[in-house]
Amino acid sequence: MIFKCRNCGGNTVYSPEKGGMYCPHCESTGSEEKIGDSSLVQCVNCGAPIQITQYTSACRCEHCGNYLIFNERVENVFEPKLILPFRIGKEGAAAAMEKEFSRRLFAPADFLSAKSLEKMEGVYVPFWLYDYDADYDFAGEGTRVRTWRSGDTEYTETSYFEVVRRMDVDFDRIPVDASIAMDDSVMDLMEPYDYRALADFAPQYMSGFFGEVYNQKAEELDERAQAKARQASEELLQGSLTGYTTVRPYRKNLHLTREGFCYALMPVWQYAYRYRDKSYLYHVNGQTGKVIGVTPVSRGKVLAYGASVFAAVTALCYMAVHVLEIL
Amino acid sequence: MRQYFHYFKWLYIVLAAIAVLTVVLHVGHWMLAKTMNYQRTNTECITDERVFDGAGVLNDKEEEKLRRLIAKRERQTGCDIVLVTLNEPLEAYAREIEPGVRSEEFVRVYAEQRWENDGFGYDRPDGDGVILVDNWSRADDGSIHTWLCTTGRARDAYYEEDIDHLLDNVYHYVEKNPYRAYKTYVNDFYHDMLGWKVFHMYVPGYVPWLAGIIAAVIFCVVNWRSKEGKKTTTATTYVAGREPVFRVSQDRFLRKMVTRRKIQTSSGGGGGRSHGGGGGHHGGGGHSR
Repeated sequence: MIFKCRNCGGNTVYSPEKGGMYCPHCESTGSEEKIGDSSLVQCVNCGAPIQITQYTSACRCEHCGNYLIFNERVENVFEPKLILPFRIGKEGAAAAMEKEFSRRLFAPADFLSAKSLEKMEGVYVPFWLYDYDADYDFAGEGTRVRTWRSGDTEYTETSYFEVVRRMDVDFDRIPVDASIAMDDSVMDLMEPYDYRALADFAPQYMSGFFGEVYNQKAEELDERAQAKARQASEELLQGSLTGYTTVRPYRKNLHLTREGFCYALMPVWQYAYRYRDKSYLYHVNGQTGKVIGVTPVSRGKVLAYGASVFAAVTALCYMAVHVLEIL
Repeated sequence: MRQYFHYFKWLYIVLAAIAVLTVVLHVGHWMLAKTMNYQRTNTECITDERVFDGAGVLNDKEEEKLRRLIAKRERQTGCDIVLVTLNEPLEAYAREIEPGVRSEEFVRVYAEQRWENDGFGYDRPDGDGVILVDNWSRADDGSIHTWLCTTGRARDAYYEEDIDHLLDNVYHYVEKNPYRAYKTYVNDFYHDMLGWKVFHMYVPGYVPWLAGIIAAVIFCVVNWRSKEGKKTTTATTYVAGREPVFRVSQDRFLRKMVTRRKIQTSSGGGGGRSHGGGGGHHGGGGHSR
């Protein structure tokens, strides 16, 4: 499908800044009209052939520049239950990157140039959101150690306690990305999202962006979600064991029950930068603006800046020494 | 380039300020030197000679150049500046005057005697001035001893650190180019006497280079950030109500155990060092090579 403007016939897109559909050609808002059923091989607008992967659910036609959403990949089993619409537009994402990376002195000069940032793309990444109930049964022996001195004798008092905890945790919507192309560790670092802005899925939100359907089923990724729940449960339990010098567990039973899961799309800005034949990928959370990525290092800049610091500090020291000798 | 200049703006401003200060101090120092013209009032000194090259390490031309330089520096500092080179064992001479003197101080005894016997001193005999005695004769242990003896204003101005620094500078050249070494002695003395002498410390020449290297390495390491991003979720991020429910939370005291340990006290003595001096009205210090 494609969304067209009823007023001018242009491709309407979802505007994060305006929070609704917008026609960049005639600047109308709310004038969208859903057109046609997209084919997976041909642009519904201009008829040009399109090349997509088996997971692509939305893309931009390279010929006419219109954003296409593939019906069969956003309907039935592939229909997301929820979507977190982009809140930050391309300019906002570029600004977030500039804020994050402008202090990285050794990044190449054109790293954040307007021309490079223009290539940034918004992508809806498929996620599974899991609900779990955790039941943690813990028992152990805790010690508290107190030391004091009297005369030339040091006393050490060790008190032993039986520590028992029975903790219930209600985990709500633990996110796990279902995209093979996206690095799991990067997607984990993109969290958290503000779920209050989650909306029921509507294809309009995808117009103007790229998108994927889930690459893996919820059952396949259950283990990752469980690992997150286990780690969080462990941290919560440890947080309750304060005041002890040591805690030696002798019973630890964590039981997780999956209460449900749902398929959702999360907004991510993606920026690819190539430097010295190596690709660097940057991701900006399309809702919060959190930036993830490692900047390349320009050897020339390291040399120039390092040499400048060396020369300046050496000269400063020499002059200071000289002044001290004169004084 | 804009980022470069923007980043280093303050560094360059500080650098320029210190450069200006250095130039101002240099000019001030130079102008001060120009105004200095002390009149010699010691009429009892038995010689006008200042360069006694007994070791024969200087040629006539070099001796003459040193004489001229010393004459100029004497007027500017108001101190007699004497250079003596020797190539003779001084043991018998020194032991006759100071029977218990250590071998490395034979040259001190000679310097003090020479100063007093010749009546050196710019304002009066045994007055303001300095004498460098460099004895090229090797002692039993193979070393060559040098002594810088200061009196009057020179003694007040010169601390141990200053003497060490001056003799280090002399030793830097003396083996390869004695003329340059002794010229350094005269010029360093002049600079030291004209300085304000607020600080008596000398930084080894490698320190600025080392500081530069360390600063550059720290700068590069600090700015070479390779972290992808920070984890900003916590254990409660996905917990409904933001906190877990504890059905049981029990901490039951079981027992207590007390151990004791005798604290070992130890005492020990540290090393020490002593300073000695010849006493009298001479200051100074020596080096060996």
